[in-house]
Amino acid sequence: MLKADNLNFSIHGKTILDRVSLEVKSGEIFAILGPNGAGKSTLMKCLSGYEKPTDGDVFLMGKTSPSYSLTDLASKRAVLTQSVSINFPFTTLEVAAMGRGQISGFGQKERDFEIAREAMRLTEVSHLEKRLISTLSGGEQQRVHMARILAQLWDQQDCVLFLDEPTSALDLKHQFMLFDICRTLVSQKNYAVVVILHDLQLAKRMTDKALLLDTGRTFAAGPSADVINVDTISALYDINRSQVML
Amino acid sequence: MKFILTTIFLILSINVSHAHQPDRRIVSIGGALTETIYALGLGYRLVGSDTTSYFPPSAASLPKTGYQRALSVEGVLSLKPDLIIATEDAGPPSVMKQISSTGVQINRLKSAKSMKDTRENIFALGKILNVNASAKTLVGKFDAALEQLKATTSVQTKKPKILFIMSHGSSTPMAAGSETSANSIIEIAGGINVANAYTGYKPLSPEAVVKFSPEFILITSRTLKQIGGNEALFKLPGLALTPAAKSGNVIDMDGLLLLGFGPRSAAAALELNKRLNADD
Amino acid sequence: MLMIRTVKWRRFSLLRQREQNPFVILVCLSLILSLIVLIATSIGAISISLRDILFFDLSEFDQTILLSIRLPRVLLAVVVGAALGISGAAMQGLFRNPLADPGLIGITGGAALAVSCMIVVIGPAYGFLGLYSLGIAAFVGGMITSLVILRMSRLTGVFSVTHMLLAGIAINALTFAGTGFLTFISDDQQLRALTFWTMGSLGGAMWEPVLVCLSIILPSMWFLTKKARELNVLLLGEENAAYIGVDTHKLKRSIILTSALCVGAAVAVSGIIGFIGLVIPHLIRLLFGADHKLLIPASALLGAALLLFADTIARTIVAPSEMPVGVLTSLVGGPFFLWLLIKQNSNGN
Repeated sequence: MLKADNLNFSIHGKTILDRVSLEVKSGEIFAILGPNGAGKSTLMKCLSGYEKPTDGDVFLMGKTSPSYSLTDLASKRAVLTQSVSINFPFTTLEVAAMGRGQISGFGQKERDFEIAREAMRLTEVSHLEKRLISTLSGGEQQRVHMARILAQLWDQQDCVLFLDEPTSALDLKHQFMLFDICRTLVSQKNYAVVVILHDLQLAKRMTDKALLLDTGRTFAAGPSADVINVDTISALYDINRSQVML
Repeated sequence: MKFILTTIFLILSINVSHAHQPDRRIVSIGGALTETIYALGLGYRLVGSDTTSYFPPSAASLPKTGYQRALSVEGVLSLKPDLIIATEDAGPPSVMKQISSTGVQINRLKSAKSMKDTRENIFALGKILNVNASAKTLVGKFDAALEQLKATTSVQTKKPKILFIMSHGSSTPMAAGSETSANSIIEIAGGINVANAYTGYKPLSPEAVVKFSPEFILITSRTLKQIGGNEALFKLPGLALTPAAKSGNVIDMDGLLLLGFGPRSAAAALELNKRLNADD
Repeated sequence: MLMIRTVKWRRFSLLRQREQNPFVILVCLSLILSLIVLIATSIGAISISLRDILFFDLSEFDQTILLSIRLPRVLLAVVVGAALGISGAAMQGLFRNPLADPGLIGITGGAALAVSCMIVVIGPAYGFLGLYSLGIAAFVGGMITSLVILRMSRLTGVFSVTHMLLAGIAINALTFAGTGFLTFISDDQQLRALTFWTMGSLGGAMWEPVLVCLSIILPSMWFLTKKARELNVLLLGEENAAYIGVDTHKLKRSIILTSALCVGAAVAVSGIIGFIGLVIPHLIRLLFGADHKLLIPASALLGAALLLFADTIARTIVAPSEMPVGVLTSLVGGPFFLWLLIKQNSNGN
């Protein structure tokens, strides 16, 4: 479903990604792990079609990303970025409905609000519908934005979700909620989910496959349960084996 | 017979001309012009003027149309004028155009910057307002004062060095260079403008002030009041080191009188000359 | 300046609880504007009664006053107010900064520089050009600046809002330096002309500029309203907007150019009138929320209403003379805005 061949990415002469290859099949939750500055977010930007790789190709459903228009791409994949700050007094519902922007041709329709409400029910923020986004806590905001990208791909099959540290502000209960949603989408709607995580335990338990990045290079790749082990982790993060808790 | 006919014709024509111009309502824009209209004895016809018209005192109490460059169409027209006398500075242009498009007669005159301009304006107003005789008399008095001034200055050997200062609010004071009305009146009154190497009004640099070493500071009464009197004036950077500060020579005169180049300007120059030479 | 994120917005709880119908809000604002138009048309230095206007029972003189002097002025206030309102709303959305306004990125600065050049360097023009030379100069100046800023923001290859804002601030400083220099070398007369232009005025409104302005501002309003949802999405940030399918580069370019057109037209006919572009969009957001679909037309209506109200006071309160309208817009709008802020805070607690 999503495939990358020998991705290179460099900016100002500095190499961020060095020959990274991966393949994500539909029905899979795919984790990208690695220390700070390993190139995880850049890899995700290349995969989601926001950045153009310096070298190498990204295939989404068998076609390279540049061959999609922005609109087509928006109906095939959605991206949850790390932080979104909004300086203006939008209500939570309005923010969630923004995900429907392109699909309904930027004319707000009642149906878009219904979808946004459904999505908000999934991420358990329905009760905050009329609150202003700026008055919400970090975790609540994260769930609203999650609802927004779910709304974006609503009614679609075979899509890719890109999540960049989606659990960073979430409490334990909502971390499980998030992966429940992902698992449901993956199994029932044939989605693929690509997720950047720092919580290795969570990654080991919740994801199917993992790619470990180290300064732009593939350090290890394979089924999460196998790849995420004390040896690789202590080597990748440069810590003692005794400090690794999995 | 011919004499009688001529007399009758004259009387008729006077009546006719009066019939043609039953007390025309005049709005005057520009202090010097308003002053001239009063000097020509036609002040009673004025129904409004701009904010620069404040002499004679009755001019100050006329309805005001605002500053001469920021007139309001409806404001001026609400005074129901038949004739508008305005300097070439009056504006904005679109307002002047709109006023004239309603059919009101507008006469634009020069903004006087020299005695020659003043004389021309008096004659022009005499013609427009049909009081040529009064205009001639007024110019006669004006010229007499100028003659007297010329006689005085011609025997004076010393030309006092003068610096004219203008200040708007709290901003840096400005000195009058050449091509300003302050420069003209200083020269006519027999002085030397120390800042005449500049053109127009320029911000005053303290060091330049010291270098100029003016013997007199010339200033409008309003500016002096704004600055806060003589003492405050000499606290301005550089001024304390001038000969003017040492002898305390500050001459303040009303702005319209000194710089307006209205009918009183010859008298103003005379007064300035007198005050410049008061010590001797 | 870029990072000002201190203002926490809260809408009135009272207004929040009710479902807001944008259509109803716009109709209400239109009614308010129409009412002010009626009042403004019926008062002035020359008194013409409202009854006489409505039944068109007027002397020839009154007709001239009404049709060729007062009506164009009322309409000009409406058009300029609307232009400033929408361009302010669009700029704040584009820069994702509630403190942005057309002045910030140098459009008005460019217009002011062009006007000072016209006054100081080129000197007075006569005839048709005499009436419109400053307006044309202002418009051209504003457009050139916005194009330069667009060009600059693309120099680095990345067309980013931050670059645009920084370039704008730098250009703004440069135009101010230019204007300052021209002010320095100007003579007394030119200086006064310059000062009066900077203060802004709707005096001397005529039909031609009203119509020209209208033909620029109406299409711009339509366009910006059409782009409202995209502007909303842009507030999530450029990256997120792109993920949702917005061509952010194209959007930014078109918004900048449209706003510059509006501001250029407004500045050309009225000089620099502050406050409206900055504060009207704020007011609308405080009252009705940030959705651009409502924000843009509502800012147009409220901007028009405020400027017309202020200008009506400006031209009547000291008749037969006039006050500078910029003073009045701030005087009328400022306290109202403060009251809203205070009220909003006490509601929030």
